[in-house]
Amino acid sequence: MRSLFSIFVFVFAAVVSAISTSGNRLLAILDDVADKENYSKFLGDLESRGFQISFETPKSESLALFHLGERNYDHILLFPTRTKGLGPNLTPNILVDFMNANGNILVALSSEVAAPSSLVSLLSELDIQLPADRTGLVVDHFHYDASNAADKHDVLVLPPPKPVRPGIKDFFGTGAGKEEGDDVVLAIPRAVGAALGASELLTPIVRAPRTAYSYNPKEQTEVVDDLFAAGEQLALVSAFQARNSARLVLVGSAEMLQDKWFDAKVTKAADGNKAAKTFNREFAKRVSGWAFNEIGVLRVNWIEHHLDEAGAANESNPKIYRIKNNVKYTISLSEYAWTTWTPFFLPSEDALQLEFSMLSPFYRLPLTLDEAQSSDSASAYSTSFKLPDQHGIFNFKVNYKRPFLSNVEEKNTVSVRHMAHNEWPRSYVISGAWPWIAGVGVTVTGWLAFCALWMYSAPVNGNRETKKTQ
Amino acid sequence: MSKSSGKVKAGQLWSKNKDELTKQLAELKTELSQLRIQKIVSSGTKLTKIHDIRKSIARVLTVINAKQRAQLRLFYKNKKYLPLDLRAKQTRAIRRRLSPEDASRVLEKTKKRQTHFPQRKFAVKPVIFCCCFLPLQLQQSFGLLPGVSAFRLQTGERQHHHPSPQATMSADPLQTLASVGKGKSTRGVLRVIILALIAGAAIASRLFSVILDPWFNFRATKYLVANGFYNFWDWFDDRTWHPLGRVTGGTLYPGLMVTSGVIYHALRALRIPVDIRNICVLLAPAFSGLTAIAAYLLTNEMTPSSSAGLLAALFMGIAPGYISRSVAGSYDNEAIAIFLLVFTFYLWIKALKQGSMLWGALCALSYGYMVASWGGYAFITCLLPLHAFVLICMGRYSTRLYVAYTTWYALGTLASMQIPFVGFLPVKTSEHMPALGIFGFLQLLAFLDYVRSAIPSRQFQTFLWVFAGATFGIGLLGLVIATSAGFIAPWSGRFYSLWDTGYAKIHIPIIASVSEHQPTAWPAFFFDLNMLIWLFPVGVYLCFQELADEHVFIVVYALFGSYFAGVMVRLMLTLTPVVCIAAAIAVSTLLDTYLSTKSPKPEETLATEGSEGKKAAKSSLKSTSKPVVGVYGLWEKSMMVGALGVYLLLFVLHCTWVTSNAYSSPSVVLASRLPDGSQHIIDDYREAYQWLRQNTREDAKIMSWWDYGYQIGGMADRPTLVDNNTWNNTHIATVGKAMSSSEEVSYPIMRQHEVDYVLVVFGGLLGYSGDDINKFLWMVRIAEGIWPDEVNERSFFTSRGEYRVDGEASETMKNSLMYKMSYYNYNNLFPPGQAVDRMRQARLPEVGPSLSTLEEAFTSENWIIRIYKVKDLDNLGRDHMSAAAFDRGHKKKKATKKKGPRALRVE
Repeated sequence: MRSLFSIFVFVFAAVVSAISTSGNRLLAILDDVADKENYSKFLGDLESRGFQISFETPKSESLALFHLGERNYDHILLFPTRTKGLGPNLTPNILVDFMNANGNILVALSSEVAAPSSLVSLLSELDIQLPADRTGLVVDHFHYDASNAADKHDVLVLPPPKPVRPGIKDFFGTGAGKEEGDDVVLAIPRAVGAALGASELLTPIVRAPRTAYSYNPKEQTEVVDDLFAAGEQLALVSAFQARNSARLVLVGSAEMLQDKWFDAKVTKAADGNKAAKTFNREFAKRVSGWAFNEIGVLRVNWIEHHLDEAGAANESNPKIYRIKNNVKYTISLSEYAWTTWTPFFLPSEDALQLEFSMLSPFYRLPLTLDEAQSSDSASAYSTSFKLPDQHGIFNFKVNYKRPFLSNVEEKNTVSVRHMAHNEWPRSYVISGAWPWIAGVGVTVTGWLAFCALWMYSAPVNGNRETKKTQ
Repeated sequence: MSKSSGKVKAGQLWSKNKDELTKQLAELKTELSQLRIQKIVSSGTKLTKIHDIRKSIARVLTVINAKQRAQLRLFYKNKKYLPLDLRAKQTRAIRRRLSPEDASRVLEKTKKRQTHFPQRKFAVKPVIFCCCFLPLQLQQSFGLLPGVSAFRLQTGERQHHHPSPQATMSADPLQTLASVGKGKSTRGVLRVIILALIAGAAIASRLFSVILDPWFNFRATKYLVANGFYNFWDWFDDRTWHPLGRVTGGTLYPGLMVTSGVIYHALRALRIPVDIRNICVLLAPAFSGLTAIAAYLLTNEMTPSSSAGLLAALFMGIAPGYISRSVAGSYDNEAIAIFLLVFTFYLWIKALKQGSMLWGALCALSYGYMVASWGGYAFITCLLPLHAFVLICMGRYSTRLYVAYTTWYALGTLASMQIPFVGFLPVKTSEHMPALGIFGFLQLLAFLDYVRSAIPSRQFQTFLWVFAGATFGIGLLGLVIATSAGFIAPWSGRFYSLWDTGYAKIHIPIIASVSEHQPTAWPAFFFDLNMLIWLFPVGVYLCFQELADEHVFIVVYALFGSYFAGVMVRLMLTLTPVVCIAAAIAVSTLLDTYLSTKSPKPEETLATEGSEGKKAAKSSLKSTSKPVVGVYGLWEKSMMVGALGVYLLLFVLHCTWVTSNAYSSPSVVLASRLPDGSQHIIDDYREAYQWLRQNTREDAKIMSWWDYGYQIGGMADRPTLVDNNTWNNTHIATVGKAMSSSEEVSYPIMRQHEVDYVLVVFGGLLGYSGDDINKFLWMVRIAEGIWPDEVNERSFFTSRGEYRVDGEASETMKNSLMYKMSYYNYNNLFPPGQAVDRMRQARLPEVGPSLSTLEEAFTSENWIIRIYKVKDLDNLGRDHMSAAAFDRGHKKKKATKKKGPRALRVE
């Protein structure tokens, strides 16, 4: 029922926006609304994908993320602002509430303006540390753009990002989208690097190269004595996905989203001053698409478990099983890709697992693709197994949480009862019981024989016997 | 009329007509005016006459008026309307009052309000849970009266049980009163009536106030009635002991539920529509009536005087020691088990006396029923073999004993093994071994008996020694091997705790934590048994006097029962029957002596007249040692009987008082007295359970201490982690650990057990002593039993070894979840720094505890029940402490530098 309802909701949402799975109301925060001209291509792309963008400044009186406890916007796009804080309408608590209410945020920073304190404390709640004094600049003396930043080395030129570890779907690199050739690069001008904590909800999308470091251009112009972070510990673009699948993307360089860098030609200093096209436009599309729930969204269509035994009534999703029953569990998953729901296929080196648990898992089984129940918009994964010899209240639990994929945590509670008194094998079936059954038979016949013998053997001296008993 | 007539007498005026009166009036008026003139000129002498004249004028006017009105009345006599001034006057208020019809008019709105929100009547507490067949006011008086009247009847009837030949001669008023019951059949009828009255009294005295108590039994019965017997037998209950569930069919004694179910279906079959709830409520009183009858039967086996039986029935019916577990609504196993206990004993005595297989089989059946009903069946399993053993030791082995015992044991053991909860225990555990041993022993004795009759006595001697030695050796060897190999379970902890009262406290805190498992305090004996407790030894002594087989039983039972009642308060229940029986024997002997020896006086005179020889012959043996000395005077005897009667009356009063005050107050609804003496009802429990029922998901798991498990399961209908059926000590200890640890430790435990709400009972505001802080040490002890490394009782005490909750409480105590939940936000009730725990008389620290993993969901009116919701994991992956700090507006400190180098992130 619930899955049916959610399908309905999703279909409805798709009809309305035909775009993001979670609505198309986008709020863009800019210092000055006129600044949006710099980002016209980026914003134009967003609008062409169906987003309705409202522009506000942080100081705006009318700005309110919530109205009567409901979100006014589905997504927020924060461009760099010169304000120290973000005003009373965008306090960290409100932003956290926004995320708790399933709202997504894309934050773009710039090294030229200090990050607003409101954002800094929001990010620190997410375990993302920004450089001290809210300013920082990432430079790399090996991977800079020779044509635009030959002196300062503050425009980084990097190859398109690759997954940080195996088993992660590649959403942002060239492998995921259309083939653009190898000569595309990502230009990241004047970026603020962030240090990510150990939180498992965080994933870096683009990490700085091993030779990069971050310093404070205002205070440390002469000598860099206290390094904020360096190398791959600096995340230039990072993603955060909360437990409720609300997403936040931190783009260290707002400039890379600007029009001039979308089509700019850059020169890779490291590769012998080789010119290359920038990948920025496509990357911006993917990053914003991911942040605003256009890709990497998983949906559970339905879950079904039933008794998998010959001759048994095959009721769907029963509330109760018996110990040692054979049970089949199937889960149907879809993945949203820009405009449509597609079947979800596991990345290589990854597994979807089912736990059958009470207090702790009794089984953890891999779910395998079930072609018979898959369709062109959904894929079904199933497994069958024998329930453990333990009664109790168990959960079928699928806990699939991977970077860049929305969280799947499904729990279906069933009771597993003990054997009823008439479900045990009968005694004559058990070979070990045969001696006892034989013993019963012998006793019965012996008793009958004794009675017969007793009754048909006349007493020798009947008179005395009767006297005695009397 | 002369002028000097002076004063006019009203009496004279009545006879005059109107004209004459007017004339006289005119005269008087002129006289008055003349006098006035004289006064002005001050020439007259009789000025004092003015006063008289004025009064006279008034009198005349009065008479004229009266006459006029009388005429008018006459005139209007049959007219339709009466002038206003002639109508009846009453008072102004009465005249303006609404007519009764108008006064009783009620607005539509008021009418609705009254039907929907009627005034609550707390006098009838049980209205919500159950119904009583009798109106309450009746019960109270009824509870007293039948007992008294039954007693009076008995004293009357007693005359006829020992009718000495002379008794009929004397024209005693008592005897003439009772001479209706002369014939045997009349006596039978009387006895039946008396028994019926006693049973009625027993039932009525249990109806003071009703509240269904062990909710689980009620739930189980409902399940049984709804789903049938086989489903009940295989019932897996997934609403308790989450997430383990409970194999209910295999872990309960089904006798109680099945009995209710059978009654329910029987009544249905008779076309009597009755709710199963009513059966559950009234089952205990109904069975207490049967217990009284069973006590009558058992006592009748002891003594020829059936007055003792009637007295025993009466005592059994109203003894508080038994009422405590059988008031209406107390739907526990004991409700039927005590009846079965007494009845099984009766059948055993019957079987033993007659050596009858039939009675033995009936006894086994009754025993089987008992096993199906109550874990206390082990009492019978141990007492009957003990009785048999004592008889054998006294050299009273007989075929009667052999037949009775072996029949009972064989059939009874088979019957008991049919109960899944018991299963193979009768052949596996040590508690059941005495019965088996005596069974074997009796076979040996029977065999020896046979051998003795078959071979000469000298050979028999040697045979006996060899045989006895061999059997003993083999038996002992077998027992040792079986025990060490694990075929026979060693003595269980519960059993040890019966011998060593300190054992449970050290080794099994879960048993010791229950108040009814505590050793009995001395006053409890008097409270529960009143005068029976001092009559009891007398009865046992009288049994010693005769010492037939059945009297040995009473003696053994008395010793056994007294010991166990002293060990555990709960076992007072098993002692009560024998106390009632022994006391009844004592009282009846006393009464018999002092009532029926009323006749020796005439007998003596008779004896002197002629039949002295007869009397001497009759008591020749005794009269040599005991000369005829005694209390024979009518006065002294009546003094004695009167005193006894007063005691009996006081006993009835005491029983009624104890029942109404101590045993009929439901634990769920608390009653207190306000300063002005009026009753104040504290209904927090039901308020909280109702809240849970209405505001939480149906499968929301509630964690609370096990005491409240059944109530939450029954009244709030929510799954619980632990409940009053304490079958899994580890699970209870887990809850104890969660309650007694700090939040960081408890939270994972609660997550693992899928706890949604935590319920605590807090009595600090009201001074309610039964709260969780007072039970807290038991939680700690039980948890320590399983996790001695993580929970330590010592750390909950201050350095001076005190258990405190105020500012000086130990850190462990202050950080424990239970402490925090109890005192969370409590400070806000008081002015700063003045928060006081009224239960423990402790001033609390100024800053109350803070909670981060739980949030307060509900607190009842008097703060007795507090319910907390367990927070979900933080959405942003923070720990709850920092999330809560962030919500409060604290900025996260940049700890990067303080902590030294940042931990590097590794993908």
